[in-house]
Amino acid sequence: MVFNSYTFVVFFAVILVLHNLPFSWTVKKVNLLLASYLFYALWNPPFILLLWLSTVVDFYMAKLIAIEQRPRKRKLLLTVSLVLNLGMLSYFKYGGFLLENFTALLSTMGIVFHAVKPDIILPVGISFYTFVTLSYTLDVYRRKFAPEPSFLNFALFVTYFPHLVAGPIVRPEDLIPQFKTPRRATTEQLSWGLFLLSLGLFMKVTIADGLLSEHADLIFGLPFPVQTLDAWMGVLAFSGQIFCDFAGYSTCAIGVSLCLGFELPDNFRYPYAAIGFSDFWRRWHITLSTWLRDYLYIPLGGNRHGTVRTYINLMITMLLGGLWHGASWTFVVWGALHGLFLCIERFWRETAARRRAIRAERAADGSVVSQSSVIPPMHFSSLLSQFGLAILTLFLVNITWVFFRAPTFGGAMLLLLSMFRVIPNGAPMLTNLAILTVSSITIGIIACHWLMRDSSLLSLSKRLPWWGLGLGWSSLLILVILTQKSSGSFIYFQF
Amino acid sequence: MKTINYAKAACLTLVLVLTFVTGWEVYWRQKDYVLAYNDDESLWAYTRKQIYLSSPARPVLIGSSRIKFDLSLATWQRITGEKPIQLSLVGTSPRPVLTDLGNDPNFKGILLIDVTEGLFFTPTGAFPEKEADKRVAAYPNWSLSQQISFQINRVLEANFLFLDDLNLTLSSLLHLLPIPPRPGTWGGPRFPYEFAINGFDRQTKMSDAFIADTSIQNTVKREWLEIEGHVPKGAIAGPPLVDILAQTKRSVEQIRARGGQVLFIRTPSDGPIYAGEKQTYPRAQYWDRLLAYTQTPGIYFSDYPALTRFTCPEWSHLAPKDAARFTQDLIPIIEQKMGWSLQRNSPASLSKTSSSTL
Repeated sequence: MVFNSYTFVVFFAVILVLHNLPFSWTVKKVNLLLASYLFYALWNPPFILLLWLSTVVDFYMAKLIAIEQRPRKRKLLLTVSLVLNLGMLSYFKYGGFLLENFTALLSTMGIVFHAVKPDIILPVGISFYTFVTLSYTLDVYRRKFAPEPSFLNFALFVTYFPHLVAGPIVRPEDLIPQFKTPRRATTEQLSWGLFLLSLGLFMKVTIADGLLSEHADLIFGLPFPVQTLDAWMGVLAFSGQIFCDFAGYSTCAIGVSLCLGFELPDNFRYPYAAIGFSDFWRRWHITLSTWLRDYLYIPLGGNRHGTVRTYINLMITMLLGGLWHGASWTFVVWGALHGLFLCIERFWRETAARRRAIRAERAADGSVVSQSSVIPPMHFSSLLSQFGLAILTLFLVNITWVFFRAPTFGGAMLLLLSMFRVIPNGAPMLTNLAILTVSSITIGIIACHWLMRDSSLLSLSKRLPWWGLGLGWSSLLILVILTQKSSGSFIYFQF
Repeated sequence: MKTINYAKAACLTLVLVLTFVTGWEVYWRQKDYVLAYNDDESLWAYTRKQIYLSSPARPVLIGSSRIKFDLSLATWQRITGEKPIQLSLVGTSPRPVLTDLGNDPNFKGILLIDVTEGLFFTPTGAFPEKEADKRVAAYPNWSLSQQISFQINRVLEANFLFLDDLNLTLSSLLHLLPIPPRPGTWGGPRFPYEFAINGFDRQTKMSDAFIADTSIQNTVKREWLEIEGHVPKGAIAGPPLVDILAQTKRSVEQIRARGGQVLFIRTPSDGPIYAGEKQTYPRAQYWDRLLAYTQTPGIYFSDYPALTRFTCPEWSHLAPKDAARFTQDLIPIIEQKMGWSLQRNSPASLSKTSSSTL
């Protein structure tokens, strides 16, 4: 079930009513759990078995890990959990990809091997709930989180429908404590939750599906080069589409959950105003980037084992982060580019910091003048230069989106060559209306992200008069109603 | 949080949204807008589910827009007692749907295939085929959730004009802005809303306003000429054509092997459209060859005086009244060609009914 469907409207209305009836807290949680299973089963009922398997195994493994004192046995129990979760993920998500690459490898060695193409359907949300359950087992193993004694609380933590299929990727401490005491949304929470749901639907239905997807799909689907303007418009359309699609889903999820009285973590914080790639990953899919940091980058050693290892760890993290998004080499390249940009940024920052330290030291000694170059040093503290760096970051992020969206390397290269006018005589494809739509939305998104980068929607709403908020809110809903058309899926469902 | 702000804002939002929806609906009703159903993936999937109930009196129709306009489902039902299952898709080639039905082991029914040469013989992988491929691919993934949404939407669409996803969506309304075209680009055809009204049974018909107003008809004629200027020149020939014929034959044989039957139909067109079709797709090289290659019967409208007396208001499709007469005249021809007894009160069907009740 998707948030932008009539089925969800009915489903959510029933859940809200049930959650506000005078049932016991346990009954309310059972209602939510059953509703979550229904939410998932209405896609493809058999896959609910995988969800159950993951839930049951991780609940008992975590209990055994907590009781067990012998390190080797604890590791063995953790391995069982990891093998089950990552095994399911690997089979369903990477089975076909691995077989395809294995066949290609044999072929390069001169061995002819014809594998039957596996007919594997990817269960919706498997990448998300696998990371949710893994974080629980790993936290219990590290004794960071005590195992949850209540199976109901744990099952609800894994299955809770707002985050189940596309995040935010919750941690045990985010949600399990909230299930322990009775909760009901206050009037403010309910109103704000409904506002967030409306905003998320506006981002998804109106902007992503209604105004941008058509143009992105057209440009990325062409087998021939296009004019530079068209190529850039196609990439910018996808850039806006993926943000509004995914951030729209997260906003809906947070809003829906708030209507029930539960708070989910933020997943996006105006990423297209990021200054640098480390800032970008503090603002884009925050729950994934923090998950990768805490369960992959830091365990690999983080920045504790010298400069070279730090760069290697960064690259490994981003490569696997890319692969998490999809079983394709284009996603690996997307991750590699992000890793590379992170490394360059880190190197540049460290070098600049070292030079500053040396200059400060020498200035303190009085041995040299503080400014020894004929070229004045670059200062990036002014608002204009900060904005320039944000635009540069966005430019590079857009380059990476080409690999993320293009179905093949050939397609990605064709588009990149068109973007940089290496192929000069491409075809014009987008109409003036399409160009106007994409450029207006892009400017709108950049302006909105830049103005809001150090603020929050909640604080902004507090500064507005109630009628101002009402006017804005109703405009969002009217545009959603006018758009009507929307796909039955979100881009991140395929991950 | 300031409690009062959010509650008041929510109430104002509700009032404004309800006022807008009411006003928007009233506006379109006052403009004599006709209630229509969206011819989307869900409606197609819902119709696709019914193919297993097919019979000679209830055939499955595949093709493009012509059969959707030209074959009156209501007239067919009045005569035969059953309504055909309309699976045709506007602007597409029927080949992907034919392949889908050929590969469906449970489809053993009767299939009428509308042949509009420019679409039927479209090259493999071209736009008209891709659009049909999307519907075919979406059908197995039509989830329970989508089916429930479809049932709710059905009720809403039956009552609200503004839920027209072809003409009244935000993107359609944006096309009304006076933005000059960009040289060398084409945003696709834009038909006036009076041209095609889609019913829940997927019958498409022209509105009364369209029939009465030649200026609107001329708008559509201009669109056909515009489309003509954007499609690749020349018809498919040589090995790619043989591939198409072979692919069609394979699917037809699959259906026949299970006890099903297939009939090709070429519905009327006239004016420059018909002249262009005859020139680009000479009958002997395309229509006749299709029938011969696939060993399948076919009805070409110009072979039957009863089917030749109609005029298409915009050169390509029949007006509703003519569609009713065309259907009425087509049924006896099908009966004769296929040996079926379709008419409720025909002697053959009466004897069949009485023998089955004995």
